[in-house]
Amino acid sequence: MELFLQQLINGLSLGGIYALIALGYTMVYGIIELINFAHGDVYTLGTFFSLAILTLLGVSGVVTGPALIAIVLVTIVGAMILCGLTGVIIERLAYRRLRNAPKLAPLITAIGMSFILENLMLYWKGPSPVPFPDLLPKVQFGVGAVTIQAKQVMVILLAVVLMIVLQNFVQNTRLGKAMRATAQDKDAAQLMGIDINTTIALTFLIGSALAGAAGFVSGVYYGSTWFFNGFAAGLKAFTAAVLGGIGNLAGAMLGGFLIGLIEAMTTQFIGDQWANVLVFSILVLVLIFRPSGLLGEALPNKV
Amino acid sequence: MPLPPLMRIVLAAVLTAALAACGGGSSSSSSSGDSGGTIKIGVDLPVSGADASIGVPTQNGVVLAVEEANKNGFAGGKFKLEASLLDDAVQGKHDPAAGAQNVKTFIADSAVLAMVGPFNSNVAKSEIPLSNDAGLAQISPSNTNDGLTIGDDAKKLRTAHPDVNTYFRVCTRDAKQGAALAQTAAQRLKFKKVFVIDDNETYGKGLADVFDASFRQLGGTVLGHEHITANQVDFKALLTKVKSLNPDAVFFGGNTSTGGGLIRRQMADVGMGSIAMLGGDGIGDDEFEKQAGDAANGSYMTIAAPDASKLPSAKDFIAAYKARFNGDVGPYSANAYTAAKIEIAAIEKAIKDNGGKMPTRADVLKNIAATTDFESPIGKVGFDAAGDTTSPVLSLDEVKGGKRVVIDVITLKS
Amino acid sequence: MTLTPGARNAAFAFAVAIALPFIGHNGAFTNFLADAGAFVLLALGLNIVVGFAGLLDLGYAAFFAIGSYAFAMLASPQFGIHLPFWVLLFVASGIAAVFGILLGAPTLRLRGDYLAIVTLGFGEIVPQTFLNLSQFTGGPNGIGSLDQPVFFGLRFGFDVLPYYFLILALIALAVWVANNLRQSRLGRAWMAIREDELAAAHMGINTTTTKLAAFAMGASFSGLAGCAYASKLQLVSPDQFGFNVSVFILAMLVLGGMGNIPGVILGSVLLSALDRFLLPQGTNLLHGFAHALPSGAFSNALGRVDLTNSRFLIYGVILVLMMLFRPEGLIPSGQRKAELHSADLDARAAAAEGELYSEAIR
Repeated sequence: MELFLQQLINGLSLGGIYALIALGYTMVYGIIELINFAHGDVYTLGTFFSLAILTLLGVSGVVTGPALIAIVLVTIVGAMILCGLTGVIIERLAYRRLRNAPKLAPLITAIGMSFILENLMLYWKGPSPVPFPDLLPKVQFGVGAVTIQAKQVMVILLAVVLMIVLQNFVQNTRLGKAMRATAQDKDAAQLMGIDINTTIALTFLIGSALAGAAGFVSGVYYGSTWFFNGFAAGLKAFTAAVLGGIGNLAGAMLGGFLIGLIEAMTTQFIGDQWANVLVFSILVLVLIFRPSGLLGEALPNKV
Repeated sequence: MPLPPLMRIVLAAVLTAALAACGGGSSSSSSSGDSGGTIKIGVDLPVSGADASIGVPTQNGVVLAVEEANKNGFAGGKFKLEASLLDDAVQGKHDPAAGAQNVKTFIADSAVLAMVGPFNSNVAKSEIPLSNDAGLAQISPSNTNDGLTIGDDAKKLRTAHPDVNTYFRVCTRDAKQGAALAQTAAQRLKFKKVFVIDDNETYGKGLADVFDASFRQLGGTVLGHEHITANQVDFKALLTKVKSLNPDAVFFGGNTSTGGGLIRRQMADVGMGSIAMLGGDGIGDDEFEKQAGDAANGSYMTIAAPDASKLPSAKDFIAAYKARFNGDVGPYSANAYTAAKIEIAAIEKAIKDNGGKMPTRADVLKNIAATTDFESPIGKVGFDAAGDTTSPVLSLDEVKGGKRVVIDVITLKS
Repeated sequence: MTLTPGARNAAFAFAVAIALPFIGHNGAFTNFLADAGAFVLLALGLNIVVGFAGLLDLGYAAFFAIGSYAFAMLASPQFGIHLPFWVLLFVASGIAAVFGILLGAPTLRLRGDYLAIVTLGFGEIVPQTFLNLSQFTGGPNGIGSLDQPVFFGLRFGFDVLPYYFLILALIALAVWVANNLRQSRLGRAWMAIREDELAAAHMGINTTTTKLAAFAMGASFSGLAGCAYASKLQLVSPDQFGFNVSVFILAMLVLGGMGNIPGVILGSVLLSALDRFLLPQGTNLLHGFAHALPSGAFSNALGRVDLTNSRFLIYGVILVLMMLFRPEGLIPSGQRKAELHSADLDARAAAAEGELYSEAIR
């Protein structure tokens, strides 16, 4: 039982990272129906940006007290801003021209973008995994026989908090309303005086910034990063978004945690080598039998 | 017949490709001449991407041997010796298909009389049938998988000429390495219960399977044996499972680049920082300490080659290497140098026996197979009938204070 | 007998292809041709799915894997089964086609981009499954020592020339099949679906069987390629069939021109040549410069540049630039061009309208 609970914590921590990435997928898909294939690589770029900022700040090991809070804030905000801008630039350069092209065109472009980003990171930091400073103190909480690490708490909390902030933003602000309007009907939104280019750029900014946050968190959580991480993480996060219901923010969160749990439990009860097969089988099965996911509404059948 | 524009484009493209091919790296304009010309040694190693950190210093070993041979009047100065360097890494990872292509390139170039490589066992599996068919001798500095020289697996690889062996290696094979590791774990380090993890690649799984069987034979308990997946970053669930079984140590079959470094680092995260990790030469690179960070201490690994820096016979080689490449030798530089030296000696002898004319690959192969007590930086080297080295030596290393130090040199019975 | 211009061109192209290995007299070049040929086959197969029917398949390498493993299991010491190569060509294509239908059937209702992701998922599952079921597939080692084709009593051996001619013959077959399909009723149905599935369905086209036929045909080509490639390489292993292979083939289509047979062949040969010759030689050239320069930081940096490591950067750039500026590819198919560019017109019209509206609002 303790073991089950311990794996639950592992799964939720991993799921928190997936959830943060999945939010970006879901937002972009919700507004322009594009599977932003490069999103996973933007997340990996977030780990690299975080590492660069930490290096600038001269952090190489554990930090404590108020300095820790300041450093975490500076790094995470920095990574979010840099990733957000990257997302906006990618949208402007690669996707905007193709907004009305057949579906395949932007998707193929996104795959191309993904390869480009991966290779830029390869040039930047080389082909091997890059160590990341352990900046959180190694604090552990014992709950019964289960130990929870400080960084695991951070991952799960941050994912939930960011999701709630985002949900509020989308539901209650003017910009959020503009996003929802654009998602429902671009032409009508335009008639209402909404600048859809700005709104779509904003969506990319927010989605990519969340990937940046996920990047910082995963760097701290795993203590390493690697230029090719984005492929598998991105695919699994997309699976999470689909499982929860694409276009649905709460669904992305739920899906992320579920995929993390499924991975941890597969490792525990079946075997590590089958975790990926199982996750991707879920992707295929959900798309085939319930494309609207767990919380999503049935999508209008636009071909 | 006037060509339509489309055909012109296609034709132009095809011809461009043809010209690129002909004008390019592999011109086979070797003289099969009577005396004089160029003789090449093919070198197939992974020298780009994640494998480069270990592949490039290995390649340098061959380059050094070839340069020295030319300087010292190779074959009486009649022939010029060249190293034909090819890379078998694709997108930064060793690739059996790329290795096979490279061997075919060597086979097609009549100036290539022998080759050094490959670095990885799975690449060797795709190359041996080809070198066997063409009768091209190859010496690997680092393949440790048993199935390359021993048993049915090896027989299956020699498809064209089952009774001819063209494949040799100057390092110690897995069964010996795995058995030595099992012995080290059971007798020297007194571990009773070990959990085995491998990276599900040819080398890693092969080594882990041997360790698994040998450790049980020595009366140890193997708590479980799991395979990780390529590109995996999260090992916490797996290690949580391992921790719940209370092992004395975790054995990892694989390379630093296929998960060794990250697993060691995350062991500390799940509260197994004080538990030892054991592995083969795949985690015996500096990258391992870099990736595992503070957690690296208390890891043990064998290197399937004697540690050159500890051997008096290697002093000159290390000095020459440093002077030429301005860096430190890699774990397999001395092996590659030795492999090249053996081939160069075999070629020179074949030229002499052939009256100073270009020898055949068969002559060179015969001389390599007959190698005994060859004086080299890694001691005296000879080959048995299967192509394995007759003096297998392993060094046992431990990571202490963030540095890999040799704690023992194990000489095995061949 | 009079040939149509198209057939004459094709005959001419094949004559050139047959002559090529004798121009260079160079084993490495012939070997390149054979490998490029295998990828031409794959690109022709994917072209049926993506180019003709407009179904984006991102896991095409999975069918390549299934075809190769089918061949390997039935023509190697693995299970001691040694069926003749020529029989296996059909068997492996058939098995791959069956998997094409199995994957295709449940996914037919899906929208284009979901289908792409399902195939991508499938493309990840298949090689991993082959890796995990090591008792049947040799696990990470794959299956080696495969049988070689025997042609009227002659074993192919390791000389690459017969493999090249075998692959050329398969390409000729594939081109003939694809071309006839394109002009057939089925081919026209594919294009109709590609242009507008709803309209096609209303015109009485059975979209289900039409799409399945595309998947099955596309997969069967990869079965042919799998047999030829595996017997030439003497080995199948799970790491030959990753996502990057699927993207490599897709990039060939995008570069050459989706839906256009000569275009696809050109794109495929160009990318293979880039992969095998241009990048390594460019690298050697740079290293030569580095050696010639006085040693310093710059020459050291230049000596470390490896263009072969940038191959996927180059594929990525090709995908992006082609899609943005010439989505119909180097040699466009007329119909595809119209479809892809109508989007531009729509976009321009929409932008102009948008400006009018915003002015009106002001």
